[in-house]
Order: sequence, then C-alpha cells, then structure tokens
Amino acid sequence: MDTVAERRREIDIFRHATDRIVAGVAGGLANRLGVPSGYVRAAFVVLSLLWGLGVVAYVALWMATFERVEDRPPRLLDNRRQMGLGMMFVGALLLFRTVGWWSGDLPMLIVTTLAFGMAVLSDFDWLGRLLDPHAARPSKWRIGSGVVLLLAGLVALGGALSQLRTLGGITLAVLITLAGVVMVFGPWLVGLGRALTSERRERIRQEERAEMATHLHDSVLQTLALMQRTDDPKRIVTLARQQERELRAWLYGAEPGPNGQRFAAALEEAASRVEADFAIPVEVVSVGDTALDDVTRAVVAAAGEAMINAAKHSGASEVSVYAEIENGRVDVWVADQGRGFDLDSVPPDRRGLRDSIRGRMARVGGGAEIDARPGEGTEVHVWAPLSGEEGESR
Amino acid sequence: MIRLFLVDDHALFLSGVKAEFEDMSDRFEIVGTASDVDDAIEAIRETNPDVVLIDVHMPGGGGLAVINSVSETHPDVTFLALSVSDAAEDVIAMIRAGARGYVTKSIGSEELAEAIERVHGGDAVFSPRLAGFVLDAFAHGLPQPADPELDQLTPREKEVLRLIARGYPYKQVARRLSISIKTVETHVSSVLRKLQLSSRYELTRWASDRRIV
Repeated sequence: MDTVAERRREIDIFRHATDRIVAGVAGGLANRLGVPSGYVRAAFVVLSLLWGLGVVAYVALWMATFERVEDRPPRLLDNRRQMGLGMMFVGALLLFRTVGWWSGDLPMLIVTTLAFGMAVLSDFDWLGRLLDPHAARPSKWRIGSGVVLLLAGLVALGGALSQLRTLGGITLAVLITLAGVVMVFGPWLVGLGRALTSERRERIRQEERAEMATHLHDSVLQTLALMQRTDDPKRIVTLARQQERELRAWLYGAEPGPNGQRFAAALEEAASRVEADFAIPVEVVSVGDTALDDVTRAVVAAAGEAMINAAKHSGASEVSVYAEIENGRVDVWVADQGRGFDLDSVPPDRRGLRDSIRGRMARVGGGAEIDARPGEGTEVHVWAPLSGEEGESR
Repeated sequence: MIRLFLVDDHALFLSGVKAEFEDMSDRFEIVGTASDVDDAIEAIRETNPDVVLIDVHMPGGGGLAVINSVSETHPDVTFLALSVSDAAEDVIAMIRAGARGYVTKSIGSEELAEAIERVHGGDAVFSPRLAGFVLDAFAHGLPQPADPELDQLTPREKEVLRLIARGYPYKQVARRLSISIKTVETHVSSVLRKLQLSSRYELTRWASDRRIV
C-alpha cells in the first residue's frame, strides 16, 4: 500500500478540500493546471455529453487522487450537499436524454445509476469512520441505498451483456463491470491503506517518543532525583555537569567519523570520566581534530592520567585541558590552579608520572613536561608527532 | 558603580543572577531586566545602561537582534554575551555583532563580576573556550587572507590566546609571558577587534560548520 500511496503523491493532484461541488476533483485539477475551476467543471460537463466520458474521467481522477487530509474542513453538511448534487447531476443527464442530446438507453441507465450510487457513497472515509470509534457513524440507510443502487447498476449491466453480441461489446461490458466493482471497493481499499500508512507513521512517532522518554528517564530524571537527595553542593555541581555533557552528546550526536571516534571526542570522554570519579569540573578546549590511532590514543591516556593527578592532589576547584592539533603534531596541556608541588621531592617510586605519562609519550616518539611550583598550580604538557594523515581542522 | 541591564528569557536564571548582583550592590546597580527581544531593545534605550548581560538564544531574533538594534542608536552600550550555548556559530556571531566578550552560564559569580568590570573598562573578555574558537577559526580559515593585517593573529596574540585557552587568568598569562596585565588586555582587545572587523566571511562559515560542538 505504501508504494501506491507514494505513486499517488507523485501525481501531485489533490482533490480540493474547499473548492468542491461533488468531490473536489475539478477544483484540485484546476489548482494543479492553474486555470479557473469553472472552466474545468465546464469541460467535465461537456465531456459527459459525449457518451458520458466526463463522468468516467471524473470518477477515474477521483480514484487516482488524494484528498489532502490536513486541510480538510469539517464536512458534516457536505455529505448531504454531495448527495443532492449527485441527484441533480443524474437529473441533468436524464434531461439531456429527453432533449435528445445524448441517447443510448441502457448504458445511460448504467452510468447514471453508478454515478448516483457513487454520489451517495461519496463520503470516502465511511469505512474509516466505522473503524474509528470516535467518529460519527454514517447512517445505515445511506450505505444501504448506495450499495443497492450500485448493485442495480450491475444487474442492469448484466442485462445489457445478454443483448451485446460483438466481442468488443462484451469486453466493454466486462470493463464497465470491473470499473463498477472498483468503484464500490476501491475507496475502501484506499481508505484502508491510508489508515495503515498513518497508523505506521504514528507508531514510528510513538517509538521515537518512547526512546526519548526512556533516555530522559535513565539520565535526566535519575540525575535530578540524585541531586534532590544530595546535600553536598560539590556533588550537585558534578552531577549537573555530567548530565549536561551527556545530554549535549545525545542531542547533538557527536557522531564518530568513518574511522570511529576522533581525538577531541576521546579527550572529552576521558575528561568526563575524571569529572564523574573525582567530582571536579574538567574544562576541555580543543583546536583542530584528528583521527584516533596508537599515537593519539597514547596522548589521550597520558592526558587522562594528568587529569586524574590534578583532580586527586591539586586541591584546585577546576582542571583545564587544552588540546591543539597543528603542523603535524598534537599538544595537550592539563593545568590546575591548585597547590602545586616540588618536582624534586616526588619519590622515585611514584609510578603515575614516570610510567603513565613520560614513558607512554616516549614510546610514541613524543614527550612530556611538567611545570609545577609549590603554591602555583601544576601544568602537564604532553605532545607527540602525528603519524600519517596530518592534523586537520575538523 | 556599573549600571547593569540583564536580558534572559529564563525567569529563573534571571532572578538568580539578579540576586547574585544584589549582594554586590557596592559594585553594580541593576537598572533593568527584560525577557524578550522587543522589551529589551526598548528598555535598554530608555535606561541607557553601561553594560548589558545578554542571553544568546531568545524568541524573536535572540541576543543578536538586540545588539544590532541597540548599537544603532546607542553605540556606547557594552554587551557581554552569556549563554549555555557552546556552539561556535553563536559565539562568533555575537562577537562579530559587537559583543565585548562571551561567557558561559556555568561561570562563577565572582568571575562574572570581574568579566563585567573588564568589558566596562573597555577590554575584551575571552573565556578559555572562546579563545579556543578564535585560535581554531584563524588557524583553519582560508590560506590566502584578503587583509593579512586583520586576518591573521600575531605570534604574541596567539601565545596570549593559547594561555587563556589553557585556563590561565590574565594575571598569570602576564607573568608567564613576562608582560604586564595591561599588555595582555591590549592583545586580547586587538584580537577581538580583528575578529569583529576581519573581512573574511570564512570566519562565519567556519563557525556555522561547527554548529555542533
């Protein structure tokens, strides 16, 4: 049904929701062609005089087109109006016949009966309304009479069949019969298909909403609940920051590049881990970005170690991380404004600095520099040459 | 005493900031607040404050619209942008419209007070993130600038920005480079001027390419 619906949309002619006398076909067509709808209506009437071609064309277009659901006005009165207009149309055809402009008794009868039946049944959505418990039900006699009229048309057609002897005549009669069947059931099927499509759209929308709700529940609501149970202002700040970071990542989707995660995102992630573990804000600023490989991974790891040291020992209220990827090398500074320390007094068995930072950087051909003075904060600078694909702006 | 005007469409945030400044009533006087663009333009013109603390995202054109219309009639009003948005596009757009600085809403109240005093004194305020954006924008724009004077940073300016991006307050930047704070402020102001005057539309494009931060 989906492809049918799409094809219909491609036709790009919509039955006009407001400029309508019977079903809005003429109005829609006029809208599409850019001519006054009166001309189109006149053309349909003229064509109807030529063996009912106008009626056939009208019905065919009606079935091939769509009503734009969103701009349909309430149509309670409309149904009665359509019925009346359908009868007027039949009356006009009968009049033409009497005057002698158009003759041919049996086909005439068939077409007019079918037209009348369709006019009665022209509320396209009656099946939809039957399925929709909230909508007003169509009156039973209207459905009944429509069906009876259509059946009468088909019976008349059957009678006509016995009189038609030529092969062409029989083919024509069969086609008319098929057309009648389509006219009766087509609208239901279309309506059903449309209901299915919109139901699926609604389901997708609901799934998205559910996903959003789940995410907000797992993250934002949990964090808010945690914050209400915490008296420690530092922890509240940390929770809020962590949640902010997560929400931003989720909303703006820091999507990984074709080679997976990028350097700046990995650094950001390392920072948010430290933030979570040590309840201290870590501000990351990156200039440029590059792919994540063995070298840049080592830089992230070393910088992460430096962040942990700052968070643990500095006593500072914030850690600043600045990364720069330029001219084929990557530099990261991890700084705090904390108590600092005397480099010479670090016992040689403190492995964090020696192995995790200096050793790691040396192995990838880079280096590390620690600038610390008691009382003046600490800054760890790690750098490494980029291999292969050079630093680039994101 | 600095006459301060606050613009923010979040009532809660507005009242929070207001309360913080009322504790510093020896340094600041709040002459008015507004929570949408039209009110803000009208009230700022009426009260003629020294500094406007302005939110970036607001219905009806945002802080940008306020800066643009107020500076037409009142060029003396100084703007300091304050936002939750870290998007380069917002930051660069506000600065290019004439804001003297850009700080995020997570800033501490004392830091915010200092930032306001600094812009009122005629200097620019660069947060670490803004410094990073500027470095990135100037480093990765087009290779052939139309006006090298304006479209490039001097090595010294770059050094200053780098230290700011590394999280150092102006005082420490000055010490590390063995220059005076005044000189640091001069460098920062000239970077801001370059950012505002630079002919490169690439700056704006650079920023919009980095909409997602």
